[in-house]
Amino acid sequence: MRILCSLDGTNTKQVSDAAQMFCTAEPLTIALLTVIDVGPRRDIDRTRERFWRPPMHHEPVTDEMEAAERAAAQDILNAGLGYLPLAETLLRRGRPELEIVNAAAEWRADVILIRPRAEYGEPPHLGPRSVGHVARFVLDHAPCPVLLLRPLAGDQFPISR
Amino acid sequence: MFLLFPLSQFWRTLLISIIGLLTLAGIMTRPYRWSEARIAMAGAGTLLLLGLIRPADAAFTLLRDWNTFFFFLGMMGLSALAQTAGLFDWLAVQAARFAKRSAARLFLNVFLLGTLITMIFCNDATALILTPVVYVFVTKLRLPVLPYLFACTFIADTASFLLPISNPINIIIMSRFPLDLLTFLRLLLLPSLVVIAINLGIFYLLYRKQLRGSFDISRLPTPEKAVKHRTYFRYTLGVLALVAPAYVFASALQFPLSVVAVAGGLLLLAGGLFWKRTTLLEAGKGISWPIFGFIGGMFVVVRAIEDTGLTRKLGNLLLHLSGGTSFGAVMVGALGSALGTNLINNVPMAVVMNSSLGTVRDAAPAIRNGFVAATMFGCDLGPNLTTVGSLATILWLLILRQRDVDVSGLDYFKVGVVVTPLMLLAGAFTIWLCL
Repeated sequence: MRILCSLDGTNTKQVSDAAQMFCTAEPLTIALLTVIDVGPRRDIDRTRERFWRPPMHHEPVTDEMEAAERAAAQDILNAGLGYLPLAETLLRRGRPELEIVNAAAEWRADVILIRPRAEYGEPPHLGPRSVGHVARFVLDHAPCPVLLLRPLAGDQFPISR
Repeated sequence: MFLLFPLSQFWRTLLISIIGLLTLAGIMTRPYRWSEARIAMAGAGTLLLLGLIRPADAAFTLLRDWNTFFFFLGMMGLSALAQTAGLFDWLAVQAARFAKRSAARLFLNVFLLGTLITMIFCNDATALILTPVVYVFVTKLRLPVLPYLFACTFIADTASFLLPISNPINIIIMSRFPLDLLTFLRLLLLPSLVVIAINLGIFYLLYRKQLRGSFDISRLPTPEKAVKHRTYFRYTLGVLALVAPAYVFASALQFPLSVVAVAGGLLLLAGGLFWKRTTLLEAGKGISWPIFGFIGGMFVVVRAIEDTGLTRKLGNLLLHLSGGTSFGAVMVGALGSALGTNLINNVPMAVVMNSSLGTVRDAAPAIRNGFVAATMFGCDLGPNLTTVGSLATILWLLILRQRDVDVSGLDYFKVGVVVTPLMLLAGAFTIWLCL
């Protein structure tokens, strides 16, 4: 593993500590976190409000929605366990960006690994707006170092000036 | 009733205007989270108590618009009972199967399904019943949820003027300005198709990256499993097969559409009770009862304002702004209504416009029809600008965002400001071409 450490004269200790975590951390504890995003449900409730309906509570379709959300989240965790079978799993419900930083604080994470944004099969995108709002929030609010897993995109370099 | 001493016309007008403005401001801002129904009824009640509108006039106003009230009742009943039969789940499964594993084709199918449901059941059914059904399916299929939710929410308004029954706003406006079915279709069918195409095209462009994937159809139940009671489901299909052409015939003959909607709802209710798929209590829960208080209150408040001559002045202003041309009538009607719906919600705006447009009754047919069609178009499509509600809601969301609180409702607004102005302009221009 080759780790590139970018130093600016003020961050030598922090960057070195972060690099050492990957080399010497024993025992290594990994947690896989997935968050059921409540945003879409809130949007549905706002639409209902516009049509003079109360928020959805205890309706048959609400149970179906929750079951589908849980099954999808469990699938994601199971896929993660396929790669990291010894990892702990954390399933939370809320706004993803808030839940990630709160979970990191509660779980006393030393480092958060996150992708810049969800990708749906498109080629890697670098440049402005390549970091989505969730990753941006985590970078701004995380209680520990954040490792932003950028896609490997060496073919897009050098960047022309 | 209480204000027994005589008031000069000036003071009457001033008091009614203040109460009317406070009612509209209350609906916009909803202080203490009061419901719109409570605010509208409070406005109407205050006018009655102060003797600023006679009880006989208020009663006459409400009785005159019986078709609107019963249409809301029948439409909500039909949608709720069709959902009980599993119709929307079954249609969503079929939409997914026809998509042949392609997320992009499923997106198109959700759009088409939303259009069909809005056309037959009205926009209420698409926004409130289809949306959660699609949410469940898309989550099961492990596809990104937001594009499909946006599709449902937007198409509910975008397809709202395909038929008179596609949005209750159309019924409200046509109660004062009747249009026969052929005229309605001549004026609004092509604009409908134009704005649906624009909506679909822009959404494909916006969400092209998220719609690249495919899905595993085996994650969904079979169409048979989506149906909870086969006989009641078939019965529901049969009733709807009668209701849909009945709507068309009633529109063509200018027969009250509420009679068809209520009759269809009663037939479904009778079937639901017979096969024990629902109870009266459960069926009643599918109806939004406060809406009747809201509409009734608004009718009374606007009637009082109408008596002061203020809405006539607004109508004259609109006529003046139109420059006496059909093009001006369409643009002023569409853009003014769309703006108004985002300020005070589309039902109050439709009621205000209904009253104001009394001044165009005697105008040339092209101008009159232009105003009427454009008002329906603006009131139906306008809410897409701020899908989450009104501009007041958006301002509140922006304040929350400034306080670093994440608000997903703003995502709707961002999409709405991209799509809606374009649809409004293109649709209004097409209406003018169709005049």
